[in-house]
Amino acid sequence: MPIGNLDVPIIGKNVVIAVLVQTHILFAAFIIGAVLIAATSEYLGMVTKQPNYERFARNLARFVVLLFASGAALAITFVLALVTLFPVFFSILQNIFFWVFLVEAFMFLGQIIIVYAWYNIWDKLAYRKSLHVVFGFIAGFFGLMAMTMIDAVASFMLTPAEVTSQSELVARSFLNQTMVPLNMHRFIGNFSYAGFLIAGWGAWRYLRTTQDSEREYYDWMGHFGLIWGFGFLIMQPVIGYGYLKGIRESAPDAFNTIMLGSKAWVFNLLVLWIAVLSIASTAYFVHKLRFTVKPMETLRKLAVGGLGFTALFTVLNIIPVNMDLIPQIGLTPFGGESTTIPLGSMYPWKYIGLIGLMLVGFFVIALYLRATATGFHWGRASRWSQYALMSCAFFVVLTMVTMGYTRETARRVDNNPGYLINDCVTLSQEITPESCPTKPLSEAASE
Amino acid sequence: MIDLALLLLQEGTTANPTGLGVFRFFAAFTLIITFFISFLGFTYWISKDE
Repeated sequence: MPIGNLDVPIIGKNVVIAVLVQTHILFAAFIIGAVLIAATSEYLGMVTKQPNYERFARNLARFVVLLFASGAALAITFVLALVTLFPVFFSILQNIFFWVFLVEAFMFLGQIIIVYAWYNIWDKLAYRKSLHVVFGFIAGFFGLMAMTMIDAVASFMLTPAEVTSQSELVARSFLNQTMVPLNMHRFIGNFSYAGFLIAGWGAWRYLRTTQDSEREYYDWMGHFGLIWGFGFLIMQPVIGYGYLKGIRESAPDAFNTIMLGSKAWVFNLLVLWIAVLSIASTAYFVHKLRFTVKPMETLRKLAVGGLGFTALFTVLNIIPVNMDLIPQIGLTPFGGESTTIPLGSMYPWKYIGLIGLMLVGFFVIALYLRATATGFHWGRASRWSQYALMSCAFFVVLTMVTMGYTRETARRVDNNPGYLINDCVTLSQEITPESCPTKPLSEAASE
Repeated sequence: MIDLALLLLQEGTTANPTGLGVFRFFAAFTLIITFFISFLGFTYWISKDE
């Protein structure tokens, strides 16, 4: 007997899936990023002989091992919920992506085995450190491969491949139009997200601890996390642009909805979070440059200029194109859509804002890395600099959740109907052969 | 009251620009953040005494 059309009271079945997946991603992205950051840190400790790197790598590895349970439990619960609440949709995905799901399962298994082995043999391989570091990177590699597999499915749901014959269904669906840019976007995002969370955690511990040696360590941890967080964040505008370009070419209606249409407010929220991340990070760098071992006043003044430009460019990104702010809840002041704001247009202002933000970001982090090479006096950072790091950790979580919502809501152009697989399978799990570019799917529906 | 209960029990979507849609949007967000912070906190708690 097949599963009936079940619904969940109060919150609805869509929210169940959203909650399970978004929470899972918050853990999964952290685990992939953290494993690679920890492995790199262990390598840096081996090369530089600085104890902070080794201590940090080992503690982070332990935390990841323990956190794996939560991430995995959410993943399993999600699959169970998907099979129960969307059985037709799941069987369609299985028909196309069986091998992809199988590979993902084994990559996941490989990641668990290697991460646990990596942490457990830390002392045993203390004199064969190079080999031990390799364990960490292999665990990270397995995680990235698992992510690549699920990215193929996630990108297919928004931009289903143009397929005309059964023989090319799997390959073309795997390498659909936005699979590579989405994968790159998430690859970079893992490092940035994990880096900001590590920085926030370091800041929290810095403010709580009373021992000088511990304050020095957590001050260093905040700095190290932020280099990863901000360093990878400033690559995202170009990669994110590539991803959006793919969506615009393959699913123009979805692109218009999230960039110009009724859901443009989610993108405005996103750039607002990125503005906070960029300004808080740059302000932290400016503050930290006061504590270089060798005084670097010129570098600091340049960084102050960088902070000003960061604020200018991020504000440029936030300005909406018109006053139709959030039409869903009636937030359309001053004439709504009819009141346009010239500085809010995509061309040229948003492009100037995004490119400017990247260039200034690279400039500021180059200055900071230059200062890092000579060293800092640790343990002297002010309280507000730590608040800046903690706000980065908070806003990066909001960024992740907002981006997830943006991608999923892009398939609900006018919500009549909303799609699970864009233009192919509706939210009520019905195949729409007339609009679906994946012909084997349409043919299966008409049989 | 009964109308509200019926509204909450009906099928619908989070993108629906009605009171129900807005409620579900924030319900989802609250649940995500609650689960995330709880699981992270729990993991920290079981790891800190080692």
